[in-house]
Amino acid sequence: MTIHNLYIFDKFGCLLYYAEWNRLKSSGITREEEAKLMYGMLFSLKSFVSKISPLDTKKGFVCYKTNKYALHYLETPTGLKFVLNTDVNAQNVRDLLHQIYSKVYVEYVVKNPVVNLRDPIKSELFKVKLDGMIKQFPAVSKAS
Amino acid sequence: MFADDVLYEFIHSELVNYVTNKKNEDENSKTGDLSPLEYAGFITGFRIIERLTKDWPRFQNELETVKFICTDFWSSVYKKQIDNLRTNHQGVYVLQDNSFRFLNKISGSKQYLEHAPKYVSFTCGLLRGALANLGINCLVTAEIQPMPCCKFHIQVHKGKKIE
Repeated sequence: MTIHNLYIFDKFGCLLYYAEWNRLKSSGITREEEAKLMYGMLFSLKSFVSKISPLDTKKGFVCYKTNKYALHYLETPTGLKFVLNTDVNAQNVRDLLHQIYSKVYVEYVVKNPVVNLRDPIKSELFKVKLDGMIKQFPAVSKAS
Repeated sequence: MFADDVLYEFIHSELVNYVTNKKNEDENSKTGDLSPLEYAGFITGFRIIERLTKDWPRFQNELETVKFICTDFWSSVYKKQIDNLRTNHQGVYVLQDNSFRFLNKISGSKQYLEHAPKYVSFTCGLLRGALANLGINCLVTAEIQPMPCCKFHIQVHKGKKIE
């Protein structure tokens, strides 16, 4: 499995963190523009899914797939949003997103008193731990 | 158990925030005076040692006391033991913690190094208070190697016993 990139948004739609590993095509717009576009799309998708669903939805919007890639979405009860793009065959990405949230974000951002929770994340330690988490995820190393 | 540990970390960082912000307003200086933090640590250490040693016999000598601090005291407060203890046998002890709990979430390199002193002074006081109640009057300073490694230097004042 290939992991392309990761976005973390706060509850107000601010891009807290962006990282990419295997991104072959760039969007051609600035990172800020891209983040706004991404957040807007997620926001619309979320409300679309909840309105159009014929049943009561518990989890709501979780992922979508195109021919080339899959976008996985995790929203925490506090409104943080984790978005991970992978190839279409990727397995257990939801677990990975949960781990990124609980083992990396909570440990090295929430528990780091120096970091302001509303600002984009600049901590080197967070970056290192996130990279480690992505690389040690079992399915990643096999493919790449 | 989970909430216990986190509670201590969060309350400590808020204590640091409170003390340093207050000082900033007063003097418009960036670092401020960390002695209130050190004092809070001293009182905490002084009291906590009373509880921790209630089942212990008297310590034979100074080294035994410091060893107790490195093992039992440290693991009850920071959930791990001191990684390395050195002494010159003349009243100077160096306690090294390779992953100090108040620093190991902050950085693994030189980033944020300017913030580090704020997060060790409470612990310096904690050590001084604990030792003071065990009859060792001393001066405790900290030296931060690349975070999260931290060395605490204990300098014992000879011949001055605390009343």
